Amino acid sequence: MTDNILVLGGGIAGIQSSLDLAEMGFKVHLVEKLPSIGGKMAQLDKTFPTNDCAI
Amino acid sequence: MMSTKGMKKESMKLVEEPRIGVFVCDCGSNIAGHLDCADVAEYAKTLPHVVYVKENLYTCSESGIVEIKNAITQENLNRVLVASCSPRTHHPLFSSSCAEAGLNPYLFEMVNIRDQCSWVHMGKREDATQKAKHLVKMGVAKAAGLEPREEIESSLIRKIMVVGGGIAGLSAAQALSDMDLDVILVEKTDHFGGLLQSLGTLETGETAEDFLGRVVADVQRRSNVTAYTGAQVKSTGGYIGNYEVTIDTPEGEVTDKVGAMVVATGAVPLIPEGIFGYGNKGVVSLMELEQHLKNDTLEKAGFSGQRMVFIQCAGTRNAKREYCSRICCMTAVKNAMTVKKKYPLADVRVLYRDMQMYGAQKEQMLWDARGMGIRFDVYDPENPPNVEAGKVSYFRTVTGDDVSLETDLTVLSTPLTARQGTGELANMLRVPTDQNGFFLEAHAKLRPLDFAADGIFVAGAGRYPATATESRTQGIGVASRVAAILFKDKLVKSAIVAGIDPASCVGCLSCLPMCPYEAITYNKDARVCQINEILCKGCGNCAATCPSHSALLAGFKPEQLLAQIGAA
Amino acid sequence: MLDVGRHPNIELMAYSELKGLEGDAGNFTAKVLKKARYVDADKCTGCGACVEVCPTPVSDLYNEGHADRKAVYSWFAQGIPSTHAIDTDHCRVFQGKRCGICAKKCEADAINFDQTEETVELNVGAVVVATGYDVFDPGKIPEYRYKTLDNVITAMEFERFLSASGPTEGHLYRPSDRKLKAEKADLEKTLAKSAKALARFEKKHGMTSKNFLVALTTNTLELTDDLAKDAEKWAAKAKDHKSKDDRLTALAQKADAVTTAKKIAFIQCVGSRDLRFYPFCSGYCCMHAIKEAIIAHEHDNDTESSIFGMDIRAVGKGFEEYKIRGGNASQITYKRSRVAEIVRGENENPVLIYEDTAQQKIVKEPFDLVVLSTACAPVKGTQDIADTLGVDLDKFGFFKTDAANPLDTTRDGIFVCGCAHSPMDIPESVAQASSAAARAVQAIMKSKKAS
Repeated sequence: MTDNILVLGGGIAGIQSSLDLAEMGFKVHLVEKLPSIGGKMAQLDKTFPTNDCAI
Repeated sequence: MMSTKGMKKESMKLVEEPRIGVFVCDCGSNIAGHLDCADVAEYAKTLPHVVYVKENLYTCSESGIVEIKNAITQENLNRVLVASCSPRTHHPLFSSSCAEAGLNPYLFEMVNIRDQCSWVHMGKREDATQKAKHLVKMGVAKAAGLEPREEIESSLIRKIMVVGGGIAGLSAAQALSDMDLDVILVEKTDHFGGLLQSLGTLETGETAEDFLGRVVADVQRRSNVTAYTGAQVKSTGGYIGNYEVTIDTPEGEVTDKVGAMVVATGAVPLIPEGIFGYGNKGVVSLMELEQHLKNDTLEKAGFSGQRMVFIQCAGTRNAKREYCSRICCMTAVKNAMTVKKKYPLADVRVLYRDMQMYGAQKEQMLWDARGMGIRFDVYDPENPPNVEAGKVSYFRTVTGDDVSLETDLTVLSTPLTARQGTGELANMLRVPTDQNGFFLEAHAKLRPLDFAADGIFVAGAGRYPATATESRTQGIGVASRVAAILFKDKLVKSAIVAGIDPASCVGCLSCLPMCPYEAITYNKDARVCQINEILCKGCGNCAATCPSHSALLAGFKPEQLLAQIGAA
Repeated sequence: MLDVGRHPNIELMAYSELKGLEGDAGNFTAKVLKKARYVDADKCTGCGACVEVCPTPVSDLYNEGHADRKAVYSWFAQGIPSTHAIDTDHCRVFQGKRCGICAKKCEADAINFDQTEETVELNVGAVVVATGYDVFDPGKIPEYRYKTLDNVITAMEFERFLSASGPTEGHLYRPSDRKLKAEKADLEKTLAKSAKALARFEKKHGMTSKNFLVALTTNTLELTDDLAKDAEKWAAKAKDHKSKDDRLTALAQKADAVTTAKKIAFIQCVGSRDLRFYPFCSGYCCMHAIKEAIIAHEHDNDTESSIFGMDIRAVGKGFEEYKIRGGNASQITYKRSRVAEIVRGENENPVLIYEDTAQQKIVKEPFDLVVLSTACAPVKGTQDIADTLGVDLDKFGFFKTDAANPLDTTRDGIFVCGCAHSPMDIPESVAQASSAAARAVQAIMKSKKAS
């Protein structure tokens, strides 16, 4: 029995899942195949409709 | 009612002469390559109250942190200033390291000589060094005036009120209950299920009745869910972790305490009064078609298996109601397919502006519908279809001619609109609504299930039209957002909050509208404004607005800021 | 993103891959391969000094190949973790050449060429799959000539061009014009070299190359012994120099005339809603195109965009309003059309051939730049991930879920969210991510109760 959870993928979905799980008190192993997390969203300049910076 | 631990007057006094330690980071060559860090460090030694200065290769490295900690104990430092990179990334590391060495973390200050000096003045070593010295001098002046503070703590009640018993609310209740949290589910009508009760089938193919029956039974058998029908929230008070709610139920008024609230009040389909011949025989709304299909009363409505025309965007995407209601195209296609399956020879047409069959499953439905022989045709919103008895005429843009279709039943696909009473509920909960009357979430992209106010969440079509599957997903998702707060032992938050001195506050209410977090209330009896520290996020709007300087933000009080500016 | 790197409950395992998953919900054993970065994560502070000295440029995939990074690199400037990595396919040390200058430069002593990959076993109670999507390769569509026309790019490439931290620092210079400028710069370098070589001859023989050539062609050259030895070489070099110089003049003229792209076409459903590739709608691309067109207009108010689509799917909160605002304020025209073909026009302008359905006629229209809104394709290798996890994929190649439990895969304790689930936009991904997290927690709590 373990309180650990594996999250595969460090894009916006994986990041949000990890943060929610971590805030709920569970230990998360976030596995990302690239050298940094951020996924596709980190490549975006800005996001609509607020045109906020994506990073 | 609110915690005052962080605002104790005596703890805000300066207890001892400041002994400031300054750490200047080279950041490898990132800073030291573009300005003279050794010179900045030498300069720091000359500043008032500075008793210890150290230049680090990397202040954030393990050895850098050890040097800070050792200096705090060995040099008896009571203030620490790090001149390095962005506080956004590194403030938490340094302030928590101070705390580990026994120094109150609110006695830590940081200046950013990387972004603000070495980066922006690259190639101007002399100027960058000069500016770094200025920043350090300002930081030291601010640090000298810092006061120790205690983090604010508050208790958490592990119970949630879910308002609305449609699929979003039911799903939230199931999920929260599965996570061992107590739930009060409040449904205004006599039945759970919301809009799903009117549907024949879901987009998944299952009948809505079967699906709903299963979910409702599951919610009702749970011992940690108290489910009310015919009930309404009468009043709410309190704040995150500690709300007090009063609910009108058929058995009388119920008062309870909850730690969080979920709004899942859904939306209502527009009744297309006065448009496209609605009200005449042979013209129904999409929701009415859904019910005819469910109750097998299509023929009574005038359809005998011959001709049916759907008109999309009836009453929406116009000047009065700009938004696209997201789900009506899918609902129309689903129903057109149901009709076509039952009456394979029927001539079923969909007149549309854009077929909003986003994603994988819905677009597949569109392929399948076309494969079944359902015909789709674009109409021009400037020149919308005209519905007369047994006839729909419209201008077909792709061929540039006028077309007249005979029809037995014309179906108007109307949008979901904000429920009446949304505004009242929003006022009661002190959460905002958008220009279309739907609830407004904290952030359109990154926080779709939260309100800006901590402790209150939103799911389902009350936020924006959503399919049954999407509403269910959001309902389950809300459980995570709630549990992220309520699974903790207590609420702990930063002591960088504002306070209002009741002695000087004149109750002018200037600060009230400035607060984005609804943290300020007016105390009618004392005639002063009061700040709820749990809700306050330390933005400082109130402090900047207050004409009598009664509202002060901890860590950013006028004397602290003036000392910093004076040193510039 | 930053919060992830800092959260005490999150162990970030970047540059890692799942290699196996045994056991059941509540008690899985996951094997994770941590690839060697050749940079010690405990020592690296992310300062980037190594990058400055690394001599090996490598095409930067973060910038969609429109800029270079180095063989030692961070994926992007604000990347988390900030630990750098060495790309062994390009690093000189791993290619058997003498180098290691990064290791000498690193003051934190973080470079470790002997680092090895390592497999770790993790005991986990549940798995959340959020492996995302791949950008569809539009090179597969011959009629759009993505591979042959420089000024036909993908929406993701355009995103990098719009970015202030991207290859053009946010200026919309077209790839063909950037090529032109690069060629000009190269030529200038070559010319500088050959000018030096010519200068040696000129000094030696006391004559300008021009006069030498004139004398040579008019047969008035006084051939000394020395000059006779050099004449042939000098003549060849001088001629070559002149022809290159002429070419440079022509290039410079062209380069001077280069302006940023002002007339942009966006083509929707590239690879999606197309039975040759993916039948589904990719969900986010209509809004992505509108956003890019609005930002392009913000950068330069002379920019005009046309968005070509079968439908414009602005289905989220505030989306239709955003679309209308784009049309009114940002000079965007929405054209209901599926573009048939893109051909090469004058000045490297792509020319679109399409049916203008509002006018009922076939149109040939040139644009400065064409942006392809590419499909949200299942990640390459999804089948392998699914096999490792022991779950099924749906007919589109995404992770299969249960209709009534939209986050549950076909194996207990494994949940999916985001574009690994199906194409969706950011708010939907975020809502689903919270939802998958809730399911994962429920699975763990359920198995705890059962035991």
